[in-house]
Amino acid sequence: MRMLKSVWFSGIALTIGCVAGSAQAQTSISVATVNNDDMIRMQALSANFAEENPDIELNWVTLEENILRQRVTTDIATGSGRFDVVTIGTYEVPIWAERGWLVPLHDMPEGYDVDDILASIRAGLSFDGTLYAAPFYGESSFTMYRTDLFEAAGLEMPAEPTWDFIKEAAAAITDRSNEVYGVCLRGKPGWGENMALLTAMANSYGARWFDENWQPQFDSEAWSSALDDYLMLLNEYGPPDAAKNGYNENLALFREGKCGIWVDATVAASAVTNPEQSKVAGNVGFALAPDNGLGKRSNWLWAWSLAISAGSQKQEAAKKFVAWATSDKYTELIAKQDGWSNVPPGTRTSLYRNPAYLDAAPFAEMALASIQAADPNDPTVEAVPYVGIQFVAIPEFQSIGTAVGHRFAKALDGSISREEALANAQWVTGKVIERARFIED
Amino acid sequence: MTYAIRDPERSIAEIDDEQLPVPEHRLHGAGHFLGLYGAEHVAATEFVIGAAFVAMGATINDILIGLLIGNTLAALSFWLITAPIAVKTRLSLYTYLDQNMGEMFSRFYNGANVLIFVAISAAMITVSATAVRALFDIPPQIYPYPTNIYFAIIAATASVIAVMVAYYGFNVLSEFATICTPWLMVMFTAGGMVLIPSLNEALTGYTTLESFSDFVSLAGTTVFTGINAEGEPGIGLVEVIGFAWAANTFSHFGLIDMALLRYAKKSIYGLCTATGMMFGHYIAWISAALMGAATASIMKLSIAVISPGDVAYYALGATGFVIVIIAGWTTANPNLYRASLAGQAVFPNISRQKVTLVVGAVVVVGSCFPFIYRSILPLLTYAGLTLVPIGGIVFAEQHIFPRLGYKSNWHRLTGLKDNKPALITWAICLVFGFGLDFLDVIPFVYLFLPTFVVAIVSYTLLAKAAGADKDYPEAERREQAFDRKVKEYHAELAAKEGHAHVEDTSLLTRGIRAVWIVIGLVVPAVLAWRVLFNSPNLYDYYVNRELFYDVTIWCTVIYFVFAWWDLQRSKALNRS
Repeated sequence: MRMLKSVWFSGIALTIGCVAGSAQAQTSISVATVNNDDMIRMQALSANFAEENPDIELNWVTLEENILRQRVTTDIATGSGRFDVVTIGTYEVPIWAERGWLVPLHDMPEGYDVDDILASIRAGLSFDGTLYAAPFYGESSFTMYRTDLFEAAGLEMPAEPTWDFIKEAAAAITDRSNEVYGVCLRGKPGWGENMALLTAMANSYGARWFDENWQPQFDSEAWSSALDDYLMLLNEYGPPDAAKNGYNENLALFREGKCGIWVDATVAASAVTNPEQSKVAGNVGFALAPDNGLGKRSNWLWAWSLAISAGSQKQEAAKKFVAWATSDKYTELIAKQDGWSNVPPGTRTSLYRNPAYLDAAPFAEMALASIQAADPNDPTVEAVPYVGIQFVAIPEFQSIGTAVGHRFAKALDGSISREEALANAQWVTGKVIERARFIED
Repeated sequence: MTYAIRDPERSIAEIDDEQLPVPEHRLHGAGHFLGLYGAEHVAATEFVIGAAFVAMGATINDILIGLLIGNTLAALSFWLITAPIAVKTRLSLYTYLDQNMGEMFSRFYNGANVLIFVAISAAMITVSATAVRALFDIPPQIYPYPTNIYFAIIAATASVIAVMVAYYGFNVLSEFATICTPWLMVMFTAGGMVLIPSLNEALTGYTTLESFSDFVSLAGTTVFTGINAEGEPGIGLVEVIGFAWAANTFSHFGLIDMALLRYAKKSIYGLCTATGMMFGHYIAWISAALMGAATASIMKLSIAVISPGDVAYYALGATGFVIVIIAGWTTANPNLYRASLAGQAVFPNISRQKVTLVVGAVVVVGSCFPFIYRSILPLLTYAGLTLVPIGGIVFAEQHIFPRLGYKSNWHRLTGLKDNKPALITWAICLVFGFGLDFLDVIPFVYLFLPTFVVAIVSYTLLAKAAGADKDYPEAERREQAFDRKVKEYHAELAAKEGHAHVEDTSLLTRGIRAVWIVIGLVVPAVLAWRVLFNSPNLYDYYVNRELFYDVTIWCTVIYFVFAWWDLQRSKALNRS
């Protein structure tokens, strides 16, 4: 009821609100966030922020990811300023920044070391060269493999493997009778599942989603080769029902010792090397994500970050909080409380120079190299009009990516041919983008 | 105006039909009103109002139950308040006021109508303009004011065209509006069906719904969440009921729909308004909200700022542009016409052209501001609050006065120029209603109820003091003589005009009808059904949706060609 009245008297209300706001002794900021472990930990540690900033009060709004995305989108798009700080990923940042929904972070509080943020992560959270969100967690993808199986097969994993080598190695170590599968890759349909892997893989084959005129490119030879190799790898050397396996399923298979090679998120490294969780913890090696000799590897880039809504009336206080939560001091705080293995990785160069962290995370250097090798602004061999490696940073991508993912999963389970899957991908991408460009441009 | 119209010495045939009660042979049965109200309440406003409930933060249960109760109350109000007075007087409210309230009252009343109808017209033209903005590469207009000069130019151009159509082609467009109803109903429903899988996928990762409880869960989580656009707890059941009831206050409690219901054979036909209430204000509102939420999800925008044009485009493809333009214009047109007529009544000494021009100019400016259409629900509610006192005054004259032994037409009998009790009552009610609103004593959607009561009580007391309880034998004899002459005239008219509607049952007409029903309505409905229930994943959804888009636009063309042909054949047959 009140809301409707404010439609009529919004100007007056805004004025009154501003006056009232400035009269408050303590600034209260709202932080909208997802209910994952990192953010729950941050919430618990925020008492430290309160101690250092007694004039700022934090109100946490913790929601499930999809609900958060919807709620925050509504708040930010309407500029209502209900949330001052929002948790968003690399997918949203360029889209929202372009729409003017986020506050540029070029003047963070003194002492905040922007240059310490990994360059590729910074690029993923920037629009037109300006940083719009500060990362608290970052990841890329790389190759995890079983050193014992490789040794038995007389193979040595190069630090920078090619897809041809992966094929060769997968063929050599596959032992279906003992449920050891040469390679595990994401097969479950979804823009964040099989299409994350396949898009990044296709990049290394010289494929791209769109040309510079936003024409879909699934009819290219590069996509055909990438999909062909992907299907061959999983059909010949992959686990049964590969089209049902996403990140979690493959993680379980690898930890059970059923995968010889797994190309996936760097965050998996700690889980597969943890003896309490993994049967093969002592036999895991790491290498960069494979390439195809075209100058692009198939590693992706993702970061969870904190951004400030352009509608926020308390931007300075919000910046203080963002700076605190994404600083190296915060990392040290977690390390002190929960150990170095629990610090959010992938955001700052200084972390990868810290001997304590490097000791706790033997895969750290390879993870860092993978993150550094990713460039979301130049993801493909040929030029593209979009930002993003394993995704295309446009609002329509989630649905197109999932639709295409379903066709590729169908090709993987044998329901349709590779050619049909590619033709379907070309059609659906063209249709959706045509409508989107028409209505939004 | 004036009471001289009812001079028994004057030839009844010379009097404009509008000034006389509706003759009995021109009355209609229930079927006519079922169709009429279905048409009247499925309009472009529904796109906006559906989204407004989402932005206001209603919960799904409050929507399902609240709209049902609120719209039932609205239908009951039409039945128990509007229809009995309309059937008893057989006059439109304009004529009634003209003949009973004096010149000044009519002028104020018409002035209020000018403002209200201008705002509604402007809002509806903006809605139409949002549909064509994409054709001209104009960015979405998400602020209360226009942010793109070309949008303002398009909205202004659309307004100018609408003003000209209202002026020169009102009858053709009105006729066209009558054939739109079934198509609008199908399209509103189909639009919601087409976008549900997309909405569901965005939330759950699945495109299919297994049961009604899945639908309730989806709508409750994504659309009617209970949280408003500001992130605060939204409106509750009581408010939802109030909005649904109050959305048409000026039509039922405010008695504007006397203009339609005066043709009803029986007052119980007031219940026929349920077609408009239960479809247009229930299914269409919910469907529009679902469409809005799905479009917001696709465009990564807030439902509070997406435009009806974008919603319709994603729901119906190219047909979406057609529905927004047609629904917008068929709503804007009669309102623009009403605004012009009311404007002429306010300024009788200024030429009709000049008044239309001024009214049109205001509409042109207003249509450039998206704020107006986004505020349509409170606008309608406040408009209702402004006009409800008139309903109370007429209600008092027609229902209370006879019981108290007062004369219903007392003011006409006195021959006085202005009905001061009515003027004072209206002023009291405005102060009372808007004063309560200012004090925020009760939800503003319910302000019309106490205001209506205050109008009845005030007017009864003031009219008694002004002589409503007195006898005027001479004037009453004149009135009776006039009424007798009208009866005689109507009897002659009935003999001349006949009253049997001829049904065209020729094979050609049946064929034409079959084409627009099957191709124009059934085919799109089946395709929409397929999108909703036969899309196991996003890819299949897109395949089904594209088929729906591609076929439905041609079904639409066929529908309008054949439905128009059918209408013209039927008219020609009845004329002959």
